[in-house]
Amino acid sequence: MFLIIKRLWQVNWAEQWQYRANLIMYLLYWLVSPIIYLAVWTSIAKVKGDVNGFTVNDFTTYYMVLLICDQITSNIIIHTFAYKIQDGSLSGELIRPIHPMLTNALVNNVAFKMLTIMGLVPVWFILFFLFKPDFSSVTLAGVLLSIPAMVLAFFTGFLLSAAITSLAFWTTRVYSIHEFYFALILLFSGQFVPLTLMPQVIQNITQYLPFQLLIYYPVQLILGKLSAEQITQGYVMSFVWFGISLLFFNWVWRNGVKRYSAVGA
Amino acid sequence: MHTLKLLSAFFKVNVQMALAYRADTVVNILLNLMWLGWELLSLSIIFNNTETLGGWGIGELIALLGVFRLVNTMMIALIWPNTEKFNQSIRDGSMDYTILQPVNSMFLVTFSRITVWRIWDLILATVLIVVGVNMSGGTTTALHILTFILLAITGTLIIYSLWIVLIALTFWFTKFDNNVTILQALMDAGRYPATVYPVWLRVIVTFIIPIAVATTIPLQALRGELASGQILMFVAISVASFWVASKIWKAGLRQYSGASS
Repeated sequence: MFLIIKRLWQVNWAEQWQYRANLIMYLLYWLVSPIIYLAVWTSIAKVKGDVNGFTVNDFTTYYMVLLICDQITSNIIIHTFAYKIQDGSLSGELIRPIHPMLTNALVNNVAFKMLTIMGLVPVWFILFFLFKPDFSSVTLAGVLLSIPAMVLAFFTGFLLSAAITSLAFWTTRVYSIHEFYFALILLFSGQFVPLTLMPQVIQNITQYLPFQLLIYYPVQLILGKLSAEQITQGYVMSFVWFGISLLFFNWVWRNGVKRYSAVGA
Repeated sequence: MHTLKLLSAFFKVNVQMALAYRADTVVNILLNLMWLGWELLSLSIIFNNTETLGGWGIGELIALLGVFRLVNTMMIALIWPNTEKFNQSIRDGSMDYTILQPVNSMFLVTFSRITVWRIWDLILATVLIVVGVNMSGGTTTALHILTFILLAITGTLIIYSLWIVLIALTFWFTKFDNNVTILQALMDAGRYPATVYPVWLRVIVTFIIPIAVATTIPLQALRGELASGQILMFVAISVASFWVASKIWKAGLRQYSGASS
């Protein structure tokens, strides 16, 4: 199994490396929104002194850390997998004795992630000098605690996206469903603004959804904003949602593959 | 007249193409409404926490959202689908057929694909602008509204010209699939007044990828912040950039050598 993963890694790394120009464009595309939100909220905080307790530095550090967490926990499975179900090229992968989604696609995502993080590092330091955030609230313990939380969040997010991508077995085209899912993340993950500034209704719903684990929870962990109790609660939620998404994905995948009609074969 | 006939022919073909995917069209309209809901919600979240954003009120931001959606509709309804077709035609040489036709090739490349259902977005955008202008209060005069419309058109023309230059580069580089990604990537910066951005970002969205020229600048005209000299300057820049773009397009066409033959 280790050897298989190693080979898959070599292939996928080479494949992603080949598209590094695309990768830079992707990175640019994905950087713009957080920077704009940062600019909007800091400009408000500058005028008013603070927004509901959030100072200019609170917003700056929030979005600067968000850039890192979002990059680690997000995935591109919809773009790299959905078309294989649509045009039938999944057939070749299905006859291999390994799970197409949980080995090849997963390794491909991690390779992509490694490369974008390599691209993000210099950009992040440029932004650091442009915005000059004060990271004094960050502790080593918080950073160390956030790592397993982000790994769990990545797997949860990956399994959920993989399940949604697998809906293509029924509907062929899944991009619309995915767009809706993307909107849910935007609304409930803390991507737009720290969740405590969201309307109360949204904050209440957020508690019952996994999306805050993708961004808000790890960001707050790193920034040292959570109490011991909140940290434990977050970890419990992380494990629960990881379990739920694993079961959900397995169920969708098993029923989906049965319906697979190998278009074009 | 000839041009209008061609346009209506393109439109008909594209309506037929859209009707082949009716369910898709309905879903797309629903998604579009969902995003409008999100955009309005995000504005309400911002204005729950402040009275003004960079000196602008919520009415003005709703109007800005309308202008943004106008430019964005041009991007999605024309620029994306036609870029895709254009890139393909350079690679496989089907650009030959476009050039052979007795019509301005830039016109053909701009309008041969139209995402038809997006037309309704234009109505939505107009509604947003009207509502926003009304909400922003009584200081706007008819003159301000006229300059606003004028500058929205010139700003859009500047972005269109930039697009022509970007895709014309494909004549030289052949494989240049990312030619419009940079335009698309910075698009979101048009949602908020560029005056709240840090200087470096403002420079990028005003001078390099001039999204703000088509969004923030017309709104500033509506607020009566622009002097007549500035307004003339933007009109002159848009005419000049369109002229330069068509020159570059022609130079690119001379460069084109076909793919298969």
